[in-house]
Amino acid sequence: MIKLIVTTTFYTQSDMNPLYKLLSSLKLTVVLLAFSMLLVFFGTLDQIHLGIHKAQTIYFESFFTVWPFREAGYSLTELGLPLPGGFLIGILLILNLSCSHFRYFRKSWKKTGIALIHTGVALLIASGFLTSFLQKETQMWIDEGAESNYTTDPKDAELVIIETTDPKKDIVTSIPHEQMTRGTTLTHENLPFSINVLEYFSNSASGKPTKEDPGLIANEGIGAKMQFKIFEAPMTYRHDTINTPSSLIHITADKKDLGKWIVSPFFNDRFSTQTFNFQDKTYTISLRPRRKYLPYSIKLVDFKHDVYPGTTIPKNYSSKVEITHHEKKEVRPALIYMNHPLRYEGLTFFQASFGKNNTASMFQVVKNEGWLIPYIAVALVGIGMIVQFMMHLIKFLKKSK
Amino acid sequence: MKKHIPKVFLILISLWVLSTALKSYKGLSKKTTDSFDVNSFAQLPIQNGGRIKPIDTLAKISLRIMSNRQAVRLPNGDKLTATEWIMDVIMNPEKADKHTVFRIDNDQILGLFEWKQKNRKHFSFEELRPHLQTIDEQARTAFQKEKELRSVYEEQLTNLYNKIMLYEKLIPLIHPISPFTSIPEKEYKFWLDLITTGKLPGSEDQTSKLPEHIKPEQLRQFMEESYTRLVKRTNIGIIPPSDPTNTHWVSLGQSLMDVKQTKTIHPILNLYSTLILSYQSNEVKTFNQTLEELHSVLGKRIHENRNQFEYFFNLLQPFYLCIVIYVITLLLAMTSWLVLPTTFQKSANALLLLTFGIHTFGLLARMYIQERPPVTNLYSSAILVGWGAGFLSIFLERINKNGIGSAVASIIGIATLIIAHHLDASGDSMEMMRAVLDSNFWLATHVIIITIGYSGMFLAGTLALIYIIRGTLTSSLDKKTAKSLSKMVYAITCFSALFSFVGTMLGGIWADQSWGRFWGWDPKENGALLIVLWCAIVLHAKLGKLVKDRGIMTLTIFGNVVTSFSWFGTNMLGVGLHSYGFMDKAFVWLSAFIISQLLIMGLSLIPLKSWKSYEKIT
Repeated sequence: MIKLIVTTTFYTQSDMNPLYKLLSSLKLTVVLLAFSMLLVFFGTLDQIHLGIHKAQTIYFESFFTVWPFREAGYSLTELGLPLPGGFLIGILLILNLSCSHFRYFRKSWKKTGIALIHTGVALLIASGFLTSFLQKETQMWIDEGAESNYTTDPKDAELVIIETTDPKKDIVTSIPHEQMTRGTTLTHENLPFSINVLEYFSNSASGKPTKEDPGLIANEGIGAKMQFKIFEAPMTYRHDTINTPSSLIHITADKKDLGKWIVSPFFNDRFSTQTFNFQDKTYTISLRPRRKYLPYSIKLVDFKHDVYPGTTIPKNYSSKVEITHHEKKEVRPALIYMNHPLRYEGLTFFQASFGKNNTASMFQVVKNEGWLIPYIAVALVGIGMIVQFMMHLIKFLKKSK
Repeated sequence: MKKHIPKVFLILISLWVLSTALKSYKGLSKKTTDSFDVNSFAQLPIQNGGRIKPIDTLAKISLRIMSNRQAVRLPNGDKLTATEWIMDVIMNPEKADKHTVFRIDNDQILGLFEWKQKNRKHFSFEELRPHLQTIDEQARTAFQKEKELRSVYEEQLTNLYNKIMLYEKLIPLIHPISPFTSIPEKEYKFWLDLITTGKLPGSEDQTSKLPEHIKPEQLRQFMEESYTRLVKRTNIGIIPPSDPTNTHWVSLGQSLMDVKQTKTIHPILNLYSTLILSYQSNEVKTFNQTLEELHSVLGKRIHENRNQFEYFFNLLQPFYLCIVIYVITLLLAMTSWLVLPTTFQKSANALLLLTFGIHTFGLLARMYIQERPPVTNLYSSAILVGWGAGFLSIFLERINKNGIGSAVASIIGIATLIIAHHLDASGDSMEMMRAVLDSNFWLATHVIIITIGYSGMFLAGTLALIYIIRGTLTSSLDKKTAKSLSKMVYAITCFSALFSFVGTMLGGIWADQSWGRFWGWDPKENGALLIVLWCAIVLHAKLGKLVKDRGIMTLTIFGNVVTSFSWFGTNMLGVGLHSYGFMDKAFVWLSAFIISQLLIMGLSLIPLKSWKSYEKIT
């Protein structure tokens, strides 16, 4: 029989647990805030080289990071500045906030404002964590008059093999780009052949072959037919450019060589699909931005791009769309324009871009279950600030009486 | 006697302001009979950059872009106002070509034309004409590079190219500059006849110049092509739409193309033609009469009052008045620390109220003209930062009555208005809002609150500067002043923390509404976050008694660095959705400012015993 022992310890200032004392100290707050400033400053500077998205993962969504000195062509990369990452600072700040709350909090109306403000701040930091894990951003391109039931992620690619033999049904096999490292052989139960990845470029460009680099050489498909030369290109992180992956794959069945193919998002709608037959079945292959299918489709009825008279300064972009939910048998029109996104079934559609001479519209599609949390946090801080302010005001008025 | 000094200052300066205002107001309606009525011409409405404005504004902005000046200097020492200059440009281009308005600073560009660096920086179009081909070729290669990668020479060359393009755009504003005839009205009639009859107009004098074998169809095609080029060359609207729901004004070229459908020449074109002829032949009476007719045709619209007001605003230059009075205020406030404290403190305070009134007028005037909340771009944020600091300082001065409030308000007022003046050189400071920013609600909340937060930061920072400089370098910092400064810094820092935080959070909500994320680590957002973090550091350091008065002052001065980075530095990075104001020259100034602040922070760290005010503080 184990006896349950309940102990209660009263700490006085002097024999307080040193770790608790450190974690609840104002000094730690100031140090953490100072490190946050350094992190934000250097993270922002590095956005010039890395772009916003990459810098975000390296600096703000990490535990440790090093800022490399790479200004003005100096190659002093080894002279880096080590910094705690956003995750580490965030966790420590929340610990610090909670510990000092328990250490200093006295049940008193006077402290309500301060307590509310700090709860709000803690919630705000927590929502930052949630967002970095939960938030998924994808895109949806639609031409005027056309409809779409999937979103794509340009930062992510997938190799898809579609069996199109049956006119009523397509069997799609998707292989994420992470698996496509050079030298791997990919097999799947749906596929009676295996795919050998001869080369995979995370970013590529078309161009003229040189002696040193002849580029990818295919003997089947568009790559062979059109002499489309593809080379490896350095990864880009600029906000206005995207990486275009390309791969050279070799398809083989037990005894048969089905050829070497180049697959790449370069071969978009303007090209014919890459198709081959094997064992009386027809397959198409492509490497494309990863798709995520939705249980509804969106039709672009009209896209408008208004400018201010006599200028090219955009006044408004707006897309008139029609959502059709097949299961719910629901059809509803909607207008998506600047500062007015469409929220539907947990996704939010924002007017983000346009193309094809103003006949195609692109929506940023954001999924973030935690989107409401910052609003609550901000409200808490706001109320806290008002309470704090009112108390000071009342005190001040009483004094002046 | 001493009692009256503040009143004397106030009355003298007020009289000066009133006389300037009166002069500007008279300028609106002053009629001249013996010379061209420039004031009336200046108020002709046009549509450029998406808004309707008086031609004076177009002239001012164009001249400032080309020459970095407000007026054109003639060889005989006379000056032409911006409107007088544009009158030459659009009605007598041959004369305008001789005005030296193209500013070239770079001696490599001068070397390109084999010009030696003379003691002047402004050149005329006539001087540039032989080199246009070279400029065009060189600029084309420079334009192929990204802006950030261009050398100073290439950047200056593209600037010169843009200046020439702007000049070329202005010339055919109301004059089609065609090879057919120098009388636009005749050309219009010829064009109309050609379109309506399909034949060469009969015995008009200009047809006699044509070779006989030319067919009407060929001529029509040729004229159409030249008008198509005109449409591309200038898109500045001069004819208001007849349909009131349409907001698009029609340019000269477009109106001539429209003749194909309407089969009439718009009467405004003929009026402008008469105006041009009378200007060239110096017929003052006809010119002024035609102007009045033009105004009566163009003016039957709501924009008339606004246009007239904008011209008044241009003439008055309220922010220029503000700078002058802020300088006097600062001098008076500083004098009060040395002699006759009460007298000079009161004088400074009176002038602060006066100039704050004018500053407020300028701010409201811009809001009325633009029909927008006060901050729409960097220029207007500078105006509001100065205004906000002035507003807070009035309270500080009321409570403390020691001249410090007037001094800091003046310092920030002068600095921000000078910054605004330089930002103004790049174009119309009342430009249209890009689609995503086009939300009066968010402009009126998020942007204003953030900008007032900047005001607070700079105000606290400047107070701290005064503390450190007066304490270390002069013996004028006594215990009482030190204590009041320290109180003010704390109060204003709390204020800035509140405004920066609320403003940043409102920005987060706006971003969530328009870009789908509350926080995106965009440089401008990070800049705002830095201010919030810095305020939190200062407040926690004070609460935790980690630093004393001097430490708080040093930290607060660093707030100036953080705020200037957030305000301007983040825009220089050229990344992100917020980067609407990329500048290069400003980088040098920003660096100089930051270094100066760091030096003063260093100064504050010398041992207290070596401070000149050491004995007085302790």
